[in-house]
Amino acid sequence: MGKMVNLKIDGKDVRVDEGLNLIEAAAAAGVHVPNLCYMKGMKGVGACRLCLVEVEGGKAPVIACNTKVKDGMVVATKTDRVQEVRKFVLDLILSMHPLDCMTCTKAGVCTLQQYAYDFDIKESSFTRKKFGYPTDQANPFIKRDPEYCVLCSRCVRVCKAQGTNVLEFSGRGVGAKVVTAQDRPLQESGCTFCGSCVDACPVNALLEADRSRKGREWEYEKVDSVCLSCGSACGITVSSKDGEVVKISSAASEGAAEKYICAIGRFGFDSLNSEARLRTPMKRVNGELRDTSWEDALATVAEKLKAADGEAGFVSTANILNEDALALKKLAADVVKTKNYDSSVTLYADYDSLKGGSADLDKADLFVLAGTAPDQWARVLPALDAVIRKRVSEGGAKLLVINSGDPKIASAASAVLKGEEIAMIEQLAQAVISKGVKAPKEMVSALAHVDPSDAAMAAADLFVAAKSPVVLAAPSLYKAAANLSLIKEEAVSVPFEANARGVVLMGLVSEGKKFKEMLSSRSKALYVIGEVPVDKRPDTDFLVVQNSHMTDLATQADVVLPSTAALESDGTIVDYLGRVKEVRCTIGAASGTKSHADIFAEVAGAMGSAVKKGKEADVKKALKAKTKAAFSPFKREKDLDVDGERFIEAINKSTINGSRLLWLKESEKGVLA
Amino acid sequence: MKDNTVVRVCMGPAGIAAGGKAVLEAFRETLADRNIDAEVKEHCSSHQVGCLGLCARDVLVEIGRNGSKTSYQYVKPDMVGRIVAEHIVGGTPVKEWLVDETFDTFYRKQVKIVLADCGRVDPEDIDSYIAAGGYEPTREVLMTWIPDDVIEEIRMSGIRGRGGAGFPTGLKWELARRSKGDVKYVICNADEGDPGAFMDRAVIEGNPHSVIEGMLIGAFAIGANKGYVYIRAEYPLAVERLKLAIKQAYERRFLGRAIFNTQFSFDIEIRLGAGAFVCGEETALIASIEGERGMPRSKPPFPVNRGLWQRPTVINNVETLANVPYIIRKGWAWYASYGTEKSKGTKVFALTGKIRNQGLIEVPMGITLGEIIHEIGGGIEGNRALKAVQTGGPSGGCIPAGMLDLNVDYESLAKAGSIVGSGGMIVLDEDNCMVNMAKYFIQFTQAESCGKCVPCRVGTKRLLEILTRITEGQGKEGDIERLERLSRGVKTASLCGLGQTAPNPVLSNLRYFREEFETHIRDKKCPAKVCKKLLRYSILEEYCKGCGACMKACPADAISGDKKKPHRINPDRCIRCGACFEACKFKSVARD
Ligand SMILES: Cc1cc2nc3c(=O)[nH]c(=O)nc-3n(C[C@H](O)[C@H](O)[C@H](O)COP(=O)(O)O)c2cc1C
Ligand code: SF4
Ligand code: SF4
Ligand code: SF4
Ligand code: FES
Repeated sequence: MGKMVNLKIDGKDVRVDEGLNLIEAAAAAGVHVPNLCYMKGMKGVGACRLCLVEVEGGKAPVIACNTKVKDGMVVATKTDRVQEVRKFVLDLILSMHPLDCMTCTKAGVCTLQQYAYDFDIKESSFTRKKFGYPTDQANPFIKRDPEYCVLCSRCVRVCKAQGTNVLEFSGRGVGAKVVTAQDRPLQESGCTFCGSCVDACPVNALLEADRSRKGREWEYEKVDSVCLSCGSACGITVSSKDGEVVKISSAASEGAAEKYICAIGRFGFDSLNSEARLRTPMKRVNGELRDTSWEDALATVAEKLKAADGEAGFVSTANILNEDALALKKLAADVVKTKNYDSSVTLYADYDSLKGGSADLDKADLFVLAGTAPDQWARVLPALDAVIRKRVSEGGAKLLVINSGDPKIASAASAVLKGEEIAMIEQLAQAVISKGVKAPKEMVSALAHVDPSDAAMAAADLFVAAKSPVVLAAPSLYKAAANLSLIKEEAVSVPFEANARGVVLMGLVSEGKKFKEMLSSRSKALYVIGEVPVDKRPDTDFLVVQNSHMTDLATQADVVLPSTAALESDGTIVDYLGRVKEVRCTIGAASGTKSHADIFAEVAGAMGSAVKKGKEADVKKALKAKTKAAFSPFKREKDLDVDGERFIEAINKSTINGSRLLWLKESEKGVLA
Repeated sequence: MKDNTVVRVCMGPAGIAAGGKAVLEAFRETLADRNIDAEVKEHCSSHQVGCLGLCARDVLVEIGRNGSKTSYQYVKPDMVGRIVAEHIVGGTPVKEWLVDETFDTFYRKQVKIVLADCGRVDPEDIDSYIAAGGYEPTREVLMTWIPDDVIEEIRMSGIRGRGGAGFPTGLKWELARRSKGDVKYVICNADEGDPGAFMDRAVIEGNPHSVIEGMLIGAFAIGANKGYVYIRAEYPLAVERLKLAIKQAYERRFLGRAIFNTQFSFDIEIRLGAGAFVCGEETALIASIEGERGMPRSKPPFPVNRGLWQRPTVINNVETLANVPYIIRKGWAWYASYGTEKSKGTKVFALTGKIRNQGLIEVPMGITLGEIIHEIGGGIEGNRALKAVQTGGPSGGCIPAGMLDLNVDYESLAKAGSIVGSGGMIVLDEDNCMVNMAKYFIQFTQAESCGKCVPCRVGTKRLLEILTRITEGQGKEGDIERLERLSRGVKTASLCGLGQTAPNPVLSNLRYFREEFETHIRDKKCPAKVCKKLLRYSILEEYCKGCGACMKACPADAISGDKKKPHRINPDRCIRCGACFEACKFKSVARD
């Protein structure tokens, strides 16, 4: 923590971190300074002029959003002078505003409406004018209606800071406007439809396209949860009305770099009701899948698993919850008594890489990307890409990219070490050591033969200068890369699935065949949980697929068990940074479906055993198993290289295909063609 | 006949435009015809730069005989015969064509520092500049001074920024020097966006090396090794000259590494501005160099602390920088001997409007407005009366005719409600409408507002709407108060200098010409007869010959009348275009 300073705001004494601006300091004193263009965590730009406050001893009012606290400062936020300016500014804004609050979707959460109320401005005292701009409604995600825009530039700045950089100002005077390049529709402007701009807009100029006439925010029930679509495991706030999800936004706290979710997380929820949704168990009868009862389905599964006599296999995705994983492990190991239970984690990671490390991305001042290549556009760990870019562009952090290819994120890097990753990591470590930084003895001797390049020496300067570097490694490189954390700070491995760490910690660690082996070898029974990157029926006598949606694999199964989808059951996960996150049930199970854990318990029951549902205590116990960082040889784990883009798309296939996200994929193809 | 007679014909850009070439030829032919052995020379012809003399009276011809010089103004080729016959042959100048007495005070009242070498040195030839003492100040500073000496010298000279804000240059440099950072920048602001201003263009076209030298010395003082000149692309000749000058300076190793074999190195890059007025504002200019849209940024941090790419940056105006080598050459005390206590040195103004001698002038600070108007400007054109002088362009205001004793310096002009600004000076006479003038400037600022902050973006639009309706006869009771409230609000709440000063023309015109606004609003009349929609046209029956010219000209069919009988205008149909007024040969159309 930095130094603290004391100041007085509207007569209240506050003690805050040095470096805070006056809006934050005032908030700490319980005083709200009106603002439209300020965004926590980003530099104040001074566009709206509402935050003007008076500082004792100063001549003119200053903008609170861009004025740092000083020890002994005496600030007045509500003098007649600044209140008059605020009223004047609001009056001017309202002179260009539609003022249709009675039908506006944003009513209740619109900042302008709030201030008009606070300052008692019913109508502008100036003649009201219209811009007469058309609305951009050419996509199913975001409706842009510049008629409402107050030109706070928040959308422009979030989009720029996260690296997508789709929006910009154009025009001068009252004709100034937020536009895309050449004023094209969003889908032709490199927009990823992450919707960050929608979250940022204080008025009704940017809105989720499907929200109008779907209720106002005060009618929504809001629950914080987690998106399970990829390894970023972003926090989301799910708004629902009458049991239907109506909106998803980022749940990260205001100002956190992690305040970002991608199009899948934000807009994919319409897949909950897609045609592919499974609502009844199915069973193959005479070569054809037919609806059946849960009882019948469970009995069939139980019978076949018993018959497999320890030679059954269980494979699951790693976006099931901890509680599901615990139950699955018990079912497999204790009831079915097989050693073959695994998750798709082993397609891209070794178990050990997912057991340790933690980091705080908001504090990091250097990111070292070892082999990981997050990419918003390809939707590979898009949130991580956005977080890093934001920390670099707004937070002054640096980025060092180590990669044998040319990942897109390298464009934000201060230094790039291009080449075989292990060799590059060795060079970097050796260069750091050569600059006189202490390292464990084994490491020093293991690197004795390494002669760092000039590029590595320059990159090492970044590492040496950083106070809190965070190494983010591809799992296959984790052990080697984590050696850097023995020199300084933290290293984590970044898997592709939301609960990869969780399922490993919960013990979904095969003692027999691993994922690939189970799919490629013959088995008596195979039980597939979730959407796995497999399209063709493996060589098995009996195939169970348990998922929320129909998949290609499920159509070839002998029994299909309909499970709840994300947002339909409670539980926890462990994200790549080692944080336990609560996944909350927001709308209840879709009719006819059951949670994975419940299904496992019922299968066990049908087999005559009892599997207790995973409790919080069990999860906690499992989480205790942590490995300590120790030196490992600079080696790559073999055969773990998968194409992130294809992998993530494969595990989300039924979501994407059952959603307007399909439109996005099609339009991207169009732009590429 | 042989008594070293020299005829000099002005062949500067203005001279050529006024037909200098034909005059020159006429002299050559006439003298040859008469077998007179006199030299005919081109004056100001070097390098297409004006001598910045009285170009308004071109073609100027100077005749030197036996050491004495006599000047003629507005010379046309057909006047040459008589001049040769009476003056060169006869020895008696043609009195009525001679320049008047202000021709003398025009030069005497001016003090040329920045403009001194314009027209004298060849801007395309570095040797010409060196021969005039150029790069000597840089050499001396680099080899024998320490940076603090330079800062002290500039501080003592009292020079203040000529870009508009008048910030003390020495202090700016000192702040940048003290600001921590190993990389610093010097930027020369040559964006010059004030309508009607062309001081900076003239300096760069006429003496680009003086600007380069100013940048070099400034860079040395603050510890910068890289400089940018941000110049508007609409100045192609200035850009060309500057490019050439920089190239030549590199060739002579006045730029680049180890300048004068010292440790000091300095590079200059040119950045072209797209002609947005707001890009002249320093933070917007910086954003523009950084590749962003030219929009001002909130200060602090000031550029001296965090400017270009977040590094300490000094940004100075062209004229400010061009003064620097001369201050170094002749010492701060010499420079400070010009001007007033708080405004030192000279200022270049672009004198335009209803004044006889239009063009660039350079005057010592503190000179009175009257001296500028009458002794340098030669008074008002035609036989109209002076109404006011507008200074500072869209950020400035008007000084009414009654205040000609006002000293032209930062403090006095500010007190009178205007500013020195970058040097625009527009002279207005009775035919200028002050409401329309205010509207013109607000129209400009509204069109140039970057749109970032609310008060400027929307406030100037609302100001413009009110001013427009006043000039169109739709003014309402309370509009003056509305203008005042809006102006105050826009001034206090705007983010950058553009918005903070945009209402100045309105406020200053209201201050001195309030009744003119009232007349527009209450009586729906424009005393200067400028606001078209307020004019009433009628036909003076006693003078009307019934020729029908007005009727033909009227696009609205508002005029009727029989041939040879007085015509009449139907006021309900009249669209106040003024076509009849122009068409009537007998001055029978009245306008009020
Ligand atoms: C809207 C606006 C336009 C400006 N345009 C110019 C310009 O064209 N040239 C210039 O030198 N300064 C201009 N300035 C002033 C600059 O911001 C800055 O103060 C100046 O370049 C500093 O140099 P100086 O100290 O040498 O005057 C402008 C300021 C504003 C607010
Ligand atoms: S949706 Fe995302 S990428 Fe598209 S404009 Fe908004 S912030 Fe930028
Ligand atoms: S669209 Fe919204 S966020 Fe963007 S500038 Fe306009 S009001 Fe601000
Ligand atoms: S005052 Fe005008 S020009 Fe300056 S930032 Fe505001 S809108 Fe832009
Ligand atoms: S919040 Fe400070 S100017 Fe808008």
